Amino acid sequence: MDLILSYLPYVDAICIGSGYALSQFIALRAGLFSLGSAGFASLGAYTAALALTRYGVAPVWGVLMGTVLATAAGVLMSVPLARLRGHFQAIATVAFVEIIVSLALHFDHFTGGPAGINGLPKLVQTWELVLFVAAVAALFAVIERTGIGRAFGAIRQDDIVARSLGISVIRYHRLAFALSAGIAGLAGGLAAFNSYTIEPQQFGFGLLTLAIGAVILGGRSSVLGPIVGTAIFVLLPELARPLAENRFLLHGALLIAVITFLPQGIVDSLRRRRAAARPARDGEPQPARTPAA
Amino acid sequence: MTALALDDVTKSFGGVTAVANLSLAIPAGRITGLIGPNGAGKTTVVNVITGIVPPTAGRVTVGEHDLTGASADAVARRGVARTFQNIRLLHDASVLDNVVIGFHRHEATSLVANLCGLPSAWRERAAFRARAQALLERFEMTRFADARADSLSYGHQRRVEMMRAIATAPEFLLLDEPVAGMNQVEADELGAIFRTLAEDGIGILLIEHNVGFVMDLCATIHVMNTGRLIAHGTADEVSRDPAVIEAYLGS
Repeated sequence: MDLILSYLPYVDAICIGSGYALSQFIALRAGLFSLGSAGFASLGAYTAALALTRYGVAPVWGVLMGTVLATAAGVLMSVPLARLRGHFQAIATVAFVEIIVSLALHFDHFTGGPAGINGLPKLVQTWELVLFVAAVAALFAVIERTGIGRAFGAIRQDDIVARSLGISVIRYHRLAFALSAGIAGLAGGLAAFNSYTIEPQQFGFGLLTLAIGAVILGGRSSVLGPIVGTAIFVLLPELARPLAENRFLLHGALLIAVITFLPQGIVDSLRRRRAAARPARDGEPQPARTPAA
Repeated sequence: MTALALDDVTKSFGGVTAVANLSLAIPAGRITGLIGPNGAGKTTVVNVITGIVPPTAGRVTVGEHDLTGASADAVARRGVARTFQNIRLLHDASVLDNVVIGFHRHEATSLVANLCGLPSAWRERAAFRARAQALLERFEMTRFADARADSLSYGHQRRVEMMRAIATAPEFLLLDEPVAGMNQVEADELGAIFRTLAEDGIGILLIEHNVGFVMDLCATIHVMNTGRLIAHGTADEVSRDPAVIEAYLGS
């Protein structure tokens, strides 16, 4: 029992990290090049924490407020960013993350500045975090199979085709922003009440790279991908203790190795290999080139 | 009868005028041809109609609706569908899914119902898949339903793109070189399908290099050269027009 309990912090870290990674994942699924998850997580975490410490709002409501605020910020961001494409969107959202960090550092009389907010109660249990990740995964599974996933997929693969079929890229990117931001905000709020303390840099460029890194590492097609990616990022430094000091070096090396050898990410690459290894079904068409007249 | 009409449309890219003062009508229930040498501006006409690029001057209308400068998705929702000269399929999806996406315009399930996975969302998914299967049958592509779109031959990919456009249930269909790279038998099969679509009331704009194919199918043919309309009329009229002969054969 004690042994199991000693592993719970890792489960907590994997669940919260998966929340950030899944937030990143849904943006990419919709062909939205947002790297803003860290910023939305910060909004969620700070709103939840400040609601309690400054105004005595019950943590449940604080977390909810943080989620709503982050979602609203995402919808707001989607308005100017609808005009941008690809890497320009990415750059704008990186700037957003840095602005949120700067605000948290600058308004220190309100946010606690670089020291952050300490002495938060640890209220969120492991099972609640597991439930959170399971709920998000279930939501994504539904999205993938219904009309929204269809539209997301079309926009991701070819936005000109999507628009020529009557799909409003603006509308679906707004939805993707809202989902991505809401999930990150909720994960941030849960993190605030799981770790006693939050500080601005925790939601900075480092978290941004972890979220996108987990998706690249685990895979960007299957909802399991970001979760597996996050688990590796969390557990790797523990498994390779002597290297723990250089864990970002380890992350970098791992990412380069995966991009080189498993470009679809671990989960998706393995799935494709298994699918390819399956014997072809009877009568499965092997479409040949049309013979020339 | 409604028509998709271009009225004095000009499109310039910087100093280059791709389309100059072009007026033409695509009546419902007919196949209208648009031919011309490479670089005549034919694809630009399609891009202007479908809202991929706004016209520099002039108007695009469907019946009483002004589509000038409307976004591409708004034009598509008005019932104008297209295929692309360089086939654009969703390569990461099966043939069936590539056709299913065409039905998106008819989605009745709300975002919330979709997000919650309410029964209506699943019913609609099943209905779209069934309708896509029916289209595959009509195009004799059923056996490719589960194949990845990019594993198909060129001719079959063109068919998938066409099924996707037809799935939107368009009033007007703009086909940008739909039989390019096909042999005569395949081209004739598609030609027969275009005829049935026109009989169903769809107004078709057929852009082709295969002049014989166009002459065969189209009641009216427009000929463009260097962005201008140089002739229009029946196949006979156009093929006798000295300006057309010069454009194609050189002086």
